[in-house]
Amino acid sequence: MSTSPLLEIKELRIAFGRSHHSAVAVNNVSLDLGVGEVVGLVGESGSGKSLTCRSVIRMMPSSGLMTATEINFDGRDIMSLSPAQLREHRAHNVGMIFQDPFSCLDPTKRIGEQIAETLRVNAGLASATAHDRALELLRSVNIDKPEQRYRAYPHELSGGMRQRVMIAIAVSAKPKLLVADEPTTALDVTTQAQILTLIKQLRAETGMSVLLVSHDFGVIAQVCDRVAVMYGGYVVEFGPVRDICTRPQHPYTRALLESIPSMESAGRHVRRAGILGQPPSLGDVVEGCPFASRCSFATPQCRSIEMTRRTVGEGHTSACPFVGDDLVSQGAGPIGRADSTEGDAS
Amino acid sequence: MADVGVVVEKFARRRRAFRVKNWELTLGLVIVGLLVVAAILAPVIAPYNPNAINILHALEKPSWSHLMGTDFVGRDLFSRVLYGLRVDLLVVAVITYVGLAIGVTVGTVAGYLGGWFDAVVGRIADTVISFPFIVLVLAVIAIVGPGLKGVAIGIIVVGWALYARLARSEMLAMKEQPFMLATKALGYSNTRAIFRHALPNLVRSSLVYSTVDVVVNMLVLAGMSYLGLGQQAPGADLGSIIAGGQEYLLNAWWITTIPGAVLVLFGIGVSLIGDGLTNGELSMATI
Amino acid sequence: MSSPVADQPILVVQDVVKRFVLRRSAADWLRHRPGEIHTAVKGVSFEVARGEILGLAGGSGSGKTTLARMLIRLVEPDDGKILFRDTDVRAARGRGLREVRREIQMVFQDPYSSLNPRMRVGAAILEAGRVHHQPGAEDGDAFVTRMLDLVRLPASAATRRPQELSGGQRQRVAIARALAVGPSVLIADEAVSALDVSIQTQLLNLFLDLRDELGLSIIFVAHQLSVIAEVADRVAIMHEGAIKEIGSTADVFNDPQDDYTKTLIAAHPHPYPPAEGPSTVVSSSL
Repeated sequence: MSTSPLLEIKELRIAFGRSHHSAVAVNNVSLDLGVGEVVGLVGESGSGKSLTCRSVIRMMPSSGLMTATEINFDGRDIMSLSPAQLREHRAHNVGMIFQDPFSCLDPTKRIGEQIAETLRVNAGLASATAHDRALELLRSVNIDKPEQRYRAYPHELSGGMRQRVMIAIAVSAKPKLLVADEPTTALDVTTQAQILTLIKQLRAETGMSVLLVSHDFGVIAQVCDRVAVMYGGYVVEFGPVRDICTRPQHPYTRALLESIPSMESAGRHVRRAGILGQPPSLGDVVEGCPFASRCSFATPQCRSIEMTRRTVGEGHTSACPFVGDDLVSQGAGPIGRADSTEGDAS
Repeated sequence: MADVGVVVEKFARRRRAFRVKNWELTLGLVIVGLLVVAAILAPVIAPYNPNAINILHALEKPSWSHLMGTDFVGRDLFSRVLYGLRVDLLVVAVITYVGLAIGVTVGTVAGYLGGWFDAVVGRIADTVISFPFIVLVLAVIAIVGPGLKGVAIGIIVVGWALYARLARSEMLAMKEQPFMLATKALGYSNTRAIFRHALPNLVRSSLVYSTVDVVVNMLVLAGMSYLGLGQQAPGADLGSIIAGGQEYLLNAWWITTIPGAVLVLFGIGVSLIGDGLTNGELSMATI
Repeated sequence: MSSPVADQPILVVQDVVKRFVLRRSAADWLRHRPGEIHTAVKGVSFEVARGEILGLAGGSGSGKTTLARMLIRLVEPDDGKILFRDTDVRAARGRGLREVRREIQMVFQDPYSSLNPRMRVGAAILEAGRVHHQPGAEDGDAFVTRMLDLVRLPASAATRRPQELSGGQRQRVAIARALAVGPSVLIADEAVSALDVSIQTQLLNLFLDLRDELGLSIIFVAHQLSVIAEVADRVAIMHEGAIKEIGSTADVFNDPQDDYTKTLIAAHPHPYPPAEGPSTVVSSSL
């Protein structure tokens, strides 16, 4: 995927509160996303992944202050857009879907009309055209009997169906980028698989790029070309999804992958090591690597290293000065300790 | 995993801790606090015996010797207002919070147990609420007889119902909360589940509502005294002082206006406290 | 802990049924008709052995939570039989029911709301122990410390309020409180579903430890098959109110017989890119 980048985020920082006691939620994040590429953001709660994806449309919580050297989207710097240009950017360039489709839909309006409304307002279509196009969109997100569903209210649809409707709305303006923030977290696995397939299918059909946020490495691995692993507000590792899943270079990525329960353990009574302690919370002042306190490879110098990523493989960067292969050769057993608890942290 | 939500919420909580300064609450507490202290210290502050008649000084304007003037038999209004406030605050506090205690208890139990008890309580509460408040209070006074006791019983008989309904509806929602399910799962008795676990969590909204109720009750009490059904002569409360000054409104405005203003001031103070409590969740939790 | 005959199950569930009335119109009421009925659990049977971990898997609406709640009568079963040791759970009343609930404890999904926000951790644990007159509960501090130690929390946690703790720590407190009443069966209802992966692992290990140390039987309800695969000895797959398949975890996951089970397993996302098989680096055998 070495196409020209659609999106380039440089040194993004998001902080809350006034300068003297502000809490940094996203720190020094740099990412790029190619045309037609699917990039994943994976991390645990509080890692800053949702905030990072929202920076693409500069949608911040009221107390959040977002700064960046540059956020380049298709040749334009998002950071310097006027309010009107920003609205235009949100309406036409980026489509967004969230975890909870129900709360994003108006419960008193038929879903077809909600899609048509978006088309009339954002694409300036006439009512009749908007109606036809809305039906077409419902069909394109694999909703059967679209004429019937057009007249349904959100509460009459299942969770998966509602997420399809949200996707239809998100792609109605033919955006260049779809941002999906935990789109399948509230859904059953079977429905989740369908929604992920749909996202892949739409990407193939329209050539749009996708930025997918998830806490689930499994979901990321199913659809993404590249993945950025976030921890404590930093992107600690970024690279092709296959490389990262099979040869993780950052100790956090390694530990995270090793923590994921697997059906292969069925009946084998394995115990995973897990990760010692708990992630830093917002407002904690962390010097150096935020993972150092939980990392079994940490050395004193980890508390003072600069969190910039170094190239560790083709298109693969890691913020840990120790390369993963070194870690393995150090006789690295399981990361963390078997009897680890989070109890004594905090 | 609503990432942003969690982050923002966490941070908001931290920020609220910094911002305990809640001006509505502070101002409200100052106003009500001053009035309450004045009422409690009435015997110390009051320059005259509130019931001492001095015909020679009847209907005097506010002056340095009589801060709020005198009434038609020369009683010092400042002293009377202080003592009147004392009576009113005490009675209002008792009736409001006795009503609250009865209502919240009955409502919580009804909501938790459901069944016939809930049905009976619900029906009675609905009946009480559907009657005009004042009419019902008057009816009770007619039975018990005029005087502060009659008014107090009347307001309590009517006042508990709203709290019962509020607490009951909150209990219905709280019953499904995992921590209430957990009390069942842990094999706790109903009494323990209701009084140790549910009640402390749902009494807050009733306390907030009571700030409205205190003002309403204060006005009803004053109204009843005004009608001659409350505080009986020669004792004073704000309502009876206002009523007594009515005939002299044109030549001695201060007799009605000043106690009226005190009443309004109290109302504003309590409302501010109510607003302050609703605005900051944290400030409520710390109270 | 009393030790029954080794092969005698501690909990037997037979043909348990739960129906919910969805809507009852005025016409239904006049004609004494029950109205529109949804059968959430359709005659489910299974057994749990002492010291066994039984996984109960299924999607939302499969009836797994309703089933779990019926075992301690948080939801009343409409039909069927539930036997705990020799006690008929459905017939239990008053003290008998409380004794059943003491023996079969439950940990809920949301650790943020399953603890009373106004109670300190120590007080909540001690209350549970004292209500059921558990041995040692007279000496409050020692009892609380012992329970916290069981869930690997430091004694200092006793003075904290739930909101000062992280999700994982709260869930540990909820487990400690359940253990304080001295149960022999623990129902974990989606107890790790809301937690981050790294914390999830710690909790799964804790459940395994508790089974080993206390001989607890655990009914582990979860929608995530992989989580169940990690802890359960046997697994029951639920769908639309019925158990589709039940058997040893290894058998069910490695050689599923039922079509629905196969669909579920196939839909489960693996953290390995589709084209390549599982690699050695991330396999659990490390």
